[in-house]
Amino acid sequence: MRKDVLIVDDESAIRRLLVGALDRTGLSHDEAATAAAALRIATSPQPPQVVLLDLGLPDRDGLEIVPQLAALGLAVIVLTARDATTEKVAALDLGADDFVTKPFDSDELLARVRSAIRRRTGSSVDAKLRTFASGSIDRDAHQVIIRGQLTDLTPREFDLLWTLAEKPGRVMTHVSLVESIWGQAHKDDLEYLRVAVRSLRKKIEADPARPVLVINEPGVGYRLASETR
Amino acid sequence: MTDPPNETDPERFLRLAHREQRGRLTAYLGAAPGVGKTYRMLQDAGRRKTEGTDVIVGIAETHGRSDTAQLLEPLEALPRHVLLHQGHSLEEFDIDAALARNPDLILVDELAHSNAPGSRHPKRWQDVEELLDAGIDVATTVNIQHIESLNDVVAGFTHVRVRETVPDQVLDDAELIVVDLPPEALIERLEAGKVYLPDTAGRALSNFFTPTKLAALRELALRFAARSVDRRLSDQLETSGEKNDFVSGERLLVAVSAGKGGAQVVRHAKRMADIYYAPWTAVVIESGSARAVRGAQRDQLADNLALAASLGASLMTIAADNVGQALVEQAKELRVSQIVIGKSRRSRWFEWRHGSIAQDVIRHAKGIAVHVVPLDDADEKPQKARDPHPYRDPMLGLLLVGATVALIHFLLPWISASAVDLLMLLPVILSATRLRMSGALWSAIWAALGYNFFFTEPFHTLNIYSTEDIITFVVLAMVAGVVGGLAGKVRRQAETSAGVARLNASLARFAGLMGGISDKDETARVACREIGMLLDVEAVIVSLEDDEIVVRGDDKSDPLDIVDEAAARWTLERGEPTGRDTGTLNASDWQFHPLKTSLGTMGALGIARVTQQRVIRPDDATLLASLVDQTALAHERLVLEAQARQVGTLRERDRLRGALLGSIAHDLRTPLTAVIAAAEAIPAEGGFAEEVRIARTESRRLQRFLNDLLEASRIEHGTIEPTLESIELADIITAVLHDLRQDRPGARVVTRIDPDCPFVSSDPLLLRHILINLIDNALKFSPADSQVDVELVARDDRVMYRILDRGPGLPAESQILFDRFERLEGSDRVGGSGLGLWIAKNFTEAVGGTITAGNREGGGAIFEVALPISETRGIETHA
Repeated sequence: MRKDVLIVDDESAIRRLLVGALDRTGLSHDEAATAAAALRIATSPQPPQVVLLDLGLPDRDGLEIVPQLAALGLAVIVLTARDATTEKVAALDLGADDFVTKPFDSDELLARVRSAIRRRTGSSVDAKLRTFASGSIDRDAHQVIIRGQLTDLTPREFDLLWTLAEKPGRVMTHVSLVESIWGQAHKDDLEYLRVAVRSLRKKIEADPARPVLVINEPGVGYRLASETR
Repeated sequence: MTDPPNETDPERFLRLAHREQRGRLTAYLGAAPGVGKTYRMLQDAGRRKTEGTDVIVGIAETHGRSDTAQLLEPLEALPRHVLLHQGHSLEEFDIDAALARNPDLILVDELAHSNAPGSRHPKRWQDVEELLDAGIDVATTVNIQHIESLNDVVAGFTHVRVRETVPDQVLDDAELIVVDLPPEALIERLEAGKVYLPDTAGRALSNFFTPTKLAALRELALRFAARSVDRRLSDQLETSGEKNDFVSGERLLVAVSAGKGGAQVVRHAKRMADIYYAPWTAVVIESGSARAVRGAQRDQLADNLALAASLGASLMTIAADNVGQALVEQAKELRVSQIVIGKSRRSRWFEWRHGSIAQDVIRHAKGIAVHVVPLDDADEKPQKARDPHPYRDPMLGLLLVGATVALIHFLLPWISASAVDLLMLLPVILSATRLRMSGALWSAIWAALGYNFFFTEPFHTLNIYSTEDIITFVVLAMVAGVVGGLAGKVRRQAETSAGVARLNASLARFAGLMGGISDKDETARVACREIGMLLDVEAVIVSLEDDEIVVRGDDKSDPLDIVDEAAARWTLERGEPTGRDTGTLNASDWQFHPLKTSLGTMGALGIARVTQQRVIRPDDATLLASLVDQTALAHERLVLEAQARQVGTLRERDRLRGALLGSIAHDLRTPLTAVIAAAEAIPAEGGFAEEVRIARTESRRLQRFLNDLLEASRIEHGTIEPTLESIELADIITAVLHDLRQDRPGARVVTRIDPDCPFVSSDPLLLRHILINLIDNALKFSPADSQVDVELVARDDRVMYRILDRGPGLPAESQILFDRFERLEGSDRVGGSGLGLWIAKNFTEAVGGTITAGNREGGGAIFEVALPISETRGIETHA
């Protein structure tokens, strides 16, 4: 039977904790303690949907198998330390879906897993319509509706929101955002992005100083909230 | 070889820029003694003093005249430096006292004065240069006949050659004030006894005081001053960016030879260069025969080159056989427009035999003007080395001819008469190839006589009967001449190339030896041994270590005396050559050359020679320069290697520490992560609700504690390297509040954020830690139900995080609270690592910010983190 989650961690205590949390929410799971075991399960006829991947594995650096897992169509959620921003960015660049920082909060972790599964199952996203926590975007009509209100955005703000809304809840790195909106030549001009995010927040956030829709992960990137918390 | 003689634009600007910081030189120029230079200088100084300038008198001579003494009265005079020399006490200008006193303006009379032996510089003008370099303005006096480039001209019509001269360069940037007096008035003053003439020079100097000569001197002085004004004008035009139409575009080359004539040509060239504002190059052509020049003449050549350099010429030495041709080639290469060359008044015979270089140059120089300066050295015979064995060559010739005659006698029964003729050529050819020209000619004479005596009829007489005999004689002489000439040329060329090969071989060997050593003492020892051998000198290497002179490379325990050490120190500190045969501290027996590298002066090479000759012969100067360079390179390599090793060790230590930190982080954090997650998975309800809450908060606290320790160790090892990026500061607060909800559920933190706060360039992780620690600290000291306020405000050129609590506030000595493990009185019960604020302070400083603490109005504490605003603004339009 196809499992929902594959837990990859060499620490049995962590594995057991994650198993307990998943059990309580009714998500099925498999376990692997090494990169090799993880790849074996991932390439089996019935691969899991989501991989919870600890990067410190005994046989290989977890980062190394991220591209392979992503290529197999699995949603990879990396478990990482709070300060490891370069690691987070690297994992996202290599195709990871999301990350959760240790020590993790079980509720948050489960929310991320659910969000990843939802993104996968609803992967046939409408090419013209994207939705997120409290809004939706219609690309052809160039319409943005936030909390039921039609909101007027500049082309640049619209591009930014549209890009972020491709996979709501998933972090997009600063560099990838700047690149997809301003182009390769400006990939180091983070300030463009800061300016655009600020003006976007002023239009779509209820309180721009306390944003809940466009969330920043310091040193990593932005995520668009997928659901209201 | 030196660079081409043109002063490129950057050089010119450098010189002008240099002049800005230097002191300004004012020179009172007179045509003759007695025109009132000192008087005028003192008058001006008095006026400057009343205007408020800090003027002192370094040295000034009143020559017992009361009006001058009166002017001296109100001015501060520097005490003179008393030197003992051969039982006499000599009073000299005290340069050190002058530098220490550091006035705005100092008066130093008699620029051309020679200092007493044992002074720092042999010449007073060198003292003046040092004062100017130190940024002190100097006023001085000088008479026109002391100007170096005019020395010949003045000597030419006064028949007095002045020994004490001042290089023209010294006065290049000077403000010249001509103190002028008509000749008649001066003679009147002289006759009235108002002109002081030193006893020794009195008689000679009185030669000046005829109306014609004084008029000529006066004209010279005025012309010199006019040229100086012109030059300053063109400099000003240059700096102000205006096109300078005054520069002629001429370029001069002067051929320098040994002897007094050489100096004369150099001075002539300098005058021409001045007239044309032209850069000029002094060239020495070293031909094979010139290489044979020895001793005194070699020193003279060096003196002439030094003179040219002091007059502003670039120097060049070229090895070539044909002097004239080499000169012209060089001239063409440098795009020279005029060649200056001297021509001796030698006999026609001498010229016919040796050829005239001047004629040669004129023949080859196409499109280049050639100035031929007739020299006054008619009485100066070209110095020929005395032949120690004047009879050796004729005797050897005689011996060879005798042997040949004996051989022919032995062979006579079997050979014909024509073979005899040919055999008689043998001794001539042999001696022509082996002996000097004179030896070859002697052999020819002996052979002709022998042939005539033994093998022509009438036998055993020297009578010549047939034209055949005459032809034989002439042929023998010609063979001797031609073969001897060719052989000599070949020999000289071989010597030249052997010399070059020897030089290259010794340099290659030296570089090879130096390359293999990786120790400072050994490098010095080998360098000194090799340099000593190659240049026939004693050599040491000195360096400054902890401000002490350290001598290496010499076996003797203490080769340097106080004077030598002073010279060595000068070289080490200023990077200029000093000591014997140089312009600075030449009382030292040693000559020091700086070992300059890209890393600075690595040390100095000291060389000394036991004999009274120059330490370095002019033709060894190039070799010495190469050796000094090689030695400097070897020292630089040592330093770089040591640095590389040190970096390697540091890197290894860093790697180990990184590994250790990594393992602690992993080994402690992993179980802790499990504990925290487990504690949070247990529902905090029922009978053990309180225990579960304790397990949660305490495990979180342990986590913070561990993080503090790891961060503190990073700070201690200086491995905090901020990764800067543009940051929206409000985002950091949002992230920190998100963390805080996990770590301290229930904490009341209220934010007030300026939504238009500018972006800063900073490190997001460090900022996050700073905020976490400060908010954590505020929460720790706040009463349970009170709130902590976090503000983000922009002020002028900074933005600020402000963290405000309602805790007990801070005592007076609040600065220590940023120290490690420092807890303020009464804070023990609160717990914590004692590192939080220290870490916050260090991180703040790492991102270029400042952290301050104070008391809040109405009770509580305020912590402020101020960050500089990024410079990149104004791109809003791109959004």
